[in-house]
Amino acid sequence: MDFGSFLTNPEIKVKIVTYRDIFQDKAMLENRFGEEYRNRSAIIKLDPADLKQLNLKIGDTVTIKNSFGSVVVKAEESGYETPHRGIAYMPKGPWSITLISDETGGTGVPKFKDISVTITSAKGEKVTEIESLF
Amino acid sequence: MEKNYHVCTGCGLLCDDIEVEAEKNIINKVLTACRIGVAHMKEGKGEAIFRVDNKPVDEAVAISEAATILKNAKNPLIFGLGASTNETQKIAIELAKKINATLDDTSSFCLGSLVEAIIREKIKTCTLDEVRNKADVIIFWGTDPSDSHPRHLSKYSYFPRGKEKQRGWEEERTAIAVDVRKSHTAKICGNYFFQIPPKGDAEFIDALIAGLSGKLPKTSYNYPPKKILELANILKGAKFGVIFAGRGLVNSLENLEPIFRLMKALNEKANFHLMPMVGSCNTMGFNENLFAETGYVNSVKFENGTVLHGPEYSIVESLKAKTVDAALIIGSDPFSILPGSIVKNLLEIPVVSIDSYETLTSRNSKVYINTAVSGVEAGGTATRMDRKKVSFEPFIETNHPSEETILKKIMEAL
Amino acid sequence: MTNAMELYQMLPKTNCKKCGKASCMAFAVALMGRELKPEDCPPLKEEPKYKENYEKLSSLFKPSEGTTETGLIVHEDLCFGCGNCVVACPPNVANDPYGVGSGNAPTNANKLVLAVENGIVKAQNLGECRRFGKNKTLCNGCIVTCPVEAIEFV
Repeated sequence: MDFGSFLTNPEIKVKIVTYRDIFQDKAMLENRFGEEYRNRSAIIKLDPADLKQLNLKIGDTVTIKNSFGSVVVKAEESGYETPHRGIAYMPKGPWSITLISDETGGTGVPKFKDISVTITSAKGEKVTEIESLF
Repeated sequence: MEKNYHVCTGCGLLCDDIEVEAEKNIINKVLTACRIGVAHMKEGKGEAIFRVDNKPVDEAVAISEAATILKNAKNPLIFGLGASTNETQKIAIELAKKINATLDDTSSFCLGSLVEAIIREKIKTCTLDEVRNKADVIIFWGTDPSDSHPRHLSKYSYFPRGKEKQRGWEEERTAIAVDVRKSHTAKICGNYFFQIPPKGDAEFIDALIAGLSGKLPKTSYNYPPKKILELANILKGAKFGVIFAGRGLVNSLENLEPIFRLMKALNEKANFHLMPMVGSCNTMGFNENLFAETGYVNSVKFENGTVLHGPEYSIVESLKAKTVDAALIIGSDPFSILPGSIVKNLLEIPVVSIDSYETLTSRNSKVYINTAVSGVEAGGTATRMDRKKVSFEPFIETNHPSEETILKKIMEAL
Repeated sequence: MTNAMELYQMLPKTNCKKCGKASCMAFAVALMGRELKPEDCPPLKEEPKYKENYEKLSSLFKPSEGTTETGLIVHEDLCFGCGNCVVACPPNVANDPYGVGSGNAPTNANKLVLAVENGIVKAQNLGECRRFGKNKTLCNGCIVTCPVEAIEFV
């Protein structure tokens, strides 16, 4: 039973996989403090069913949170044919890295591929500005 | 007609066939380069900026302040250099020796371990030109070159005709993607896309090894054995196979043992090579140059003529443990690539940022020196992802100093 | 994209020869090759019972904005200049085997159908495209190699 959906502000738990997007890199080279870079970076791509559970439309903002950080980004549909509930995709960059654990086991390598977060609706809220990330 | 080609330093591919039409130092037209390359070439702009404490200063003041910070530090960190020329990197190594610095680059948390295995010849590798001329089975594992190295497939790994590959990609090459998501590259691989769960790589490797020797491939995530056997059969038939390995693969493994096992198994049945998908234009050069000097590819600390090495000297651990008390960051933006929980410690120490453009790091630094773009406004040599040396001349004039000049001046000021 | 058989299905199928071709099938092939236009079939154009099919066919062959003679459209906002299509395009390979055919910069730019300029692919010299002219084929070399569906034929 999925109790999350009965809450007034539903909450889901997902694992984030980060990826690289050429248009984001291009926007970064042009101006990493610009709007295009933010629009290309401050997004999370969800399974349509997860989006629905959060009562969200494409383009609504969400708060992504764990013990390492919290950011507000826009929610999108992943567009992948294969369902992937519980797994979400975020481009690499200043927004997604605020959610990465500082636990490294002394290896020098952060767990870039192991990001667990909770997502809640942040309808009406603005996407976190790059300047306020640090 | 003899054409004047330029080298693109936008990524680790270092494409050497770019035509640029420029007038009065403004680039009008770029031919053959991808979008990243074009954006990279047009990156340099405006007047050179020198800042101390967020106030504009002249070059001499910025250099002197940078030298003072490094001189006063007990254990400064030098980091970055992935987009710097070999010449700049060698000066940075000298500088690190002189000031007893900790020296590291992004490879310590990216592909450094794999690059080291290649440099130490623990894994069979090849050149991109060999891939173009000979490769028949190409695997993209945990990497999406379409987004990171856009011309990888068209210039070398899949689509071009090569000396022994004259009939074209449809007939003579098989491209395979193993990844946790359907990337743009995976899309091109069509039916040969093998989607595995996050951190499922090691198991997939062992299942594939089982499949190669005709055993039933098993995974805890119940990957269809038939598909793995089908893949194993393709790999067995490779006359010149190559695995392009990315961070998706390396970051999901505890160590490189599964890769060593796979390469051994593949080379018992077929002929396989491996190449790390090195991202920045000269990360490979940094790893080679540091290796030649110290025997290590990253994460070193110089101490009165000796070299210490280990993860504790990586940027991640040294920032986390706060063992470094100043940082010189060259052509890199740790605030965009390292966990916020770790990189925030940079805010507590004086930072000197040397970069060709404004970044989160430059904005959070005590000293910022805005340099020329290597490969566009400054010349030198860089080392391609397959270890080929490529040299380039600047083709846009600039009043920005090169990284090389700045590092030399900092050395002198010390 | 449609093929000649699908076009034939929308024709009167009377083989009246008023278009100058021997049969409706021949007319369909000529339509495909853009040698003739839907209005070159008098019954189709004039008779009310074919009105729906005539409009459908006309819209199929109406040159929409931005399309070239072969119907090739590049969605510039999607393209990132990887050059896969440039290298895979059969006429490009035939006309410039050691340049673009081998993954390199063009050495024979005036015969290339596709080339990358300012990071985006440009279509040109469409007379060389395999979808053009009498002996056209439904070549899709540039479409299947595109990672972002930036090229389509309409």
